[in-house]
Amino acid sequence: MNIQEYISSGIIESYVMGLASNEEKAEFEQLCAQYPELKEARNNFELALEEQAKRNAISPPEGIKNRIWSAIQQGSVSNTPKIISMESTSTRRSSSLRWVAAASIILFLGAGYFAYNLYNKNKDLKSSNKDLEAQVNKMSEEQKVTHDPNATVVNLVGLKGSPSSANVYWDSTSANVYLIVKNMPLLPGDKQYQLWALIDNKPVDLGLFDPQNNDKVILKMKNTQKADAFAITIENRGNTGGPTLEQLQSMGKAKL
Amino acid sequence: MNPNNKYTEQELVSLLLKQNDQAFSYLYDNYSPALFGIINQIIADKDIAADVLQDVFINIWKKISSYDDRKGRLFTWMLNIARNAAIDKIRSRPYQDNLKNQPLTENVNSVTANIVVNTQMNDVGLKRQVNKLKEDYRVLIDLSYFQGFTHEEISKILNLPLGTVKTRIRSALIQLRTLI
Repeated sequence: MNIQEYISSGIIESYVMGLASNEEKAEFEQLCAQYPELKEARNNFELALEEQAKRNAISPPEGIKNRIWSAIQQGSVSNTPKIISMESTSTRRSSSLRWVAAASIILFLGAGYFAYNLYNKNKDLKSSNKDLEAQVNKMSEEQKVTHDPNATVVNLVGLKGSPSSANVYWDSTSANVYLIVKNMPLLPGDKQYQLWALIDNKPVDLGLFDPQNNDKVILKMKNTQKADAFAITIENRGNTGGPTLEQLQSMGKAKL
Repeated sequence: MNPNNKYTEQELVSLLLKQNDQAFSYLYDNYSPALFGIINQIIADKDIAADVLQDVFINIWKKISSYDDRKGRLFTWMLNIARNAAIDKIRSRPYQDNLKNQPLTENVNSVTANIVVNTQMNDVGLKRQVNKLKEDYRVLIDLSYFQGFTHEEISKILNLPLGTVKTRIRSALIQLRTLI
């Protein structure tokens, strides 16, 4: 081997800077032991790199030294190598199969654990993906409804001091009715809100709904072609009768 | 400790192996600015760089028994611990999420996304010299030395044959040496 050629091949820089492959490293270390001039060349480059790093030194923030030292002491981070007694060669040989067996069991368990983790992570991702999809669908539906040029917006305001408020988006051409709940107080479990359309002074059921915890929910209600006004009452859960007018919560006129 | 104390690398290593606290103090005082500079080349954020510096010194303390002076100088060994720790940090999920909400996964597309992210690296120290190299050398050193990609990964990212990547990195290093 031409050692001078090897020295100037870039292997020294590659080795010292930690960019050499394992084979290159092994070869380099072996040759270093063999050729003092190689070792010297390596040492020179190391010194050059060290000088370079020292010229570009930056003082770390105050207090890091103490932080490190207390971490070392608290964590009782020990730098003493563990002493592991070696078995004699004869017993080692007889037990080597056992070691192989133990190692394969550990490997198997490890692989199982890894697969299980991956499976779980995947499941989590899938479900959060689904949640996001549902959210996006909801948002785009809301976007569609609130930006529909044919839609009439009816602002339902709370009556008799009720804080409830909601908007009805009503598209009289498609007859679609959407309710955007802005603030409807929670109700006892046996009660529900009900949306009504008033047509020629007669209430027509547009559907029951439950108050939602998170504000601004969009609900698709029953369709109606006509409406003079919309109203919300509180009814017994699953109400099939007419509106309880004493429980009128909010109301809004559809036509000016 | 006596500030006039001066240890050779050999003395320092043997004292560190005995968990001598003065040796730690000397080690930190003498090398932390240089190592912090190394970390700063890769991580511009001072607080994060300081966290990495802490990990680096704890690692040096823990792993000193695996240092082998036949393989190189103590500083070289510590420098590579610092560089690797900084690279591990920029590749870590929390760092990535924090930076740009850009997830780092195994595929090459996001690897290229990562290259863009790391243009935030500091133009300090060796980095400045690397920036003087011609463009294709600069990219190779940046990917391998400052971002820790293997030759195989770089070959995929840049769509170059593996052999070409290896020889060009060698040539780039030889040229870089003349700039140091």
